[in-house]
Amino acid sequence: MIIGLEHYLVLGALLFCIGFFIALSKKNAVGVLIGVELMLNAVNLTLVAFSRFGTAEVALSTQVFVVFIIAVAAAEVAVGLALALVVYRNRQTISVDRTTLLKG
Amino acid sequence: MSDFGFHLAFWSLAAMTIGGASMIVVSRNLIHAVIWLVLSMLGIAGLYLTLSAEFIAVVQVLIYVGAISVLMLFAIMLTPRAERDNSQHIKTAGPAGVVVIMVMIATMWVAIDTDWGAVREAALTEQARLIGESLIKHYILPFEIGAVLLTAALVGAIALARQDDEDAAVHAASLQAELDDDGSVDPVDVVDPPLPTDGEAST
Repeated sequence: MIIGLEHYLVLGALLFCIGFFIALSKKNAVGVLIGVELMLNAVNLTLVAFSRFGTAEVALSTQVFVVFIIAVAAAEVAVGLALALVVYRNRQTISVDRTTLLKG
Repeated sequence: MSDFGFHLAFWSLAAMTIGGASMIVVSRNLIHAVIWLVLSMLGIAGLYLTLSAEFIAVVQVLIYVGAISVLMLFAIMLTPRAERDNSQHIKTAGPAGVVVIMVMIATMWVAIDTDWGAVREAALTEQARLIGESLIKHYILPFEIGAVLLTAALVGAIALARQDDEDAAVHAASLQAELDDDGSVDPVDVVDPPLPTDGEAST
């Protein structure tokens, strides 16, 4: 059996779903952030698989896209962790279900 | 392409990635969760190598394994130990699991059922040069926007995370009170300490 595009796509889908479940279910805000990182990585893996196996036109643009995704993910983590610190400082907790200041 | 070494590399890296990601779900300590995340990211970097995307693999190791995980560990260590519990789930975790399983079935069905066309045999060569050239020629506007975004994120993170002096004093007092309530040994009170214990060593 040849390892082809489908193997990488299924692997990316599995990884995305694990990250999705972590992001949806964890109580800790940093845990949610870890789930979001896993989802972004799964998408990157899928894009690189298309870059390797897709047509010649998408081979370069997908890799450039992956570089942009990594840059945005780094910015997101920096701001997200700073937000978690500020929320902890003001509310003494970073549980996502106990920070209900904006709840009507 | 279909030789034994490639198969071994793919399946072991896939097991490493999925295993690390699964351990994040079940690990009870947030620091352990970040360590499992590092394992998963390293597996993905290896998978990039099997896809002959060397530049992306190196960037993955530098940014995710090197920078983001260390940033996460710093943020976790700046919050008290009570906030390092990763075992709790929100009340709607069950419905969330159902939604995730439905998404998994849909994405896998699309991935397997779709005809993705002919497979290209030759991989992209000289990727670093090609990516660099297209970044400053074809994608110059997104490149500049990305630079502005990173600067804004840097300034924003510093502006959010720095605290005023009176806030810092209150925060330090509450931290000290929590440490005292913990029952951990305060080195000042012990006349003849057998070992220098701090808050970390008592767990």
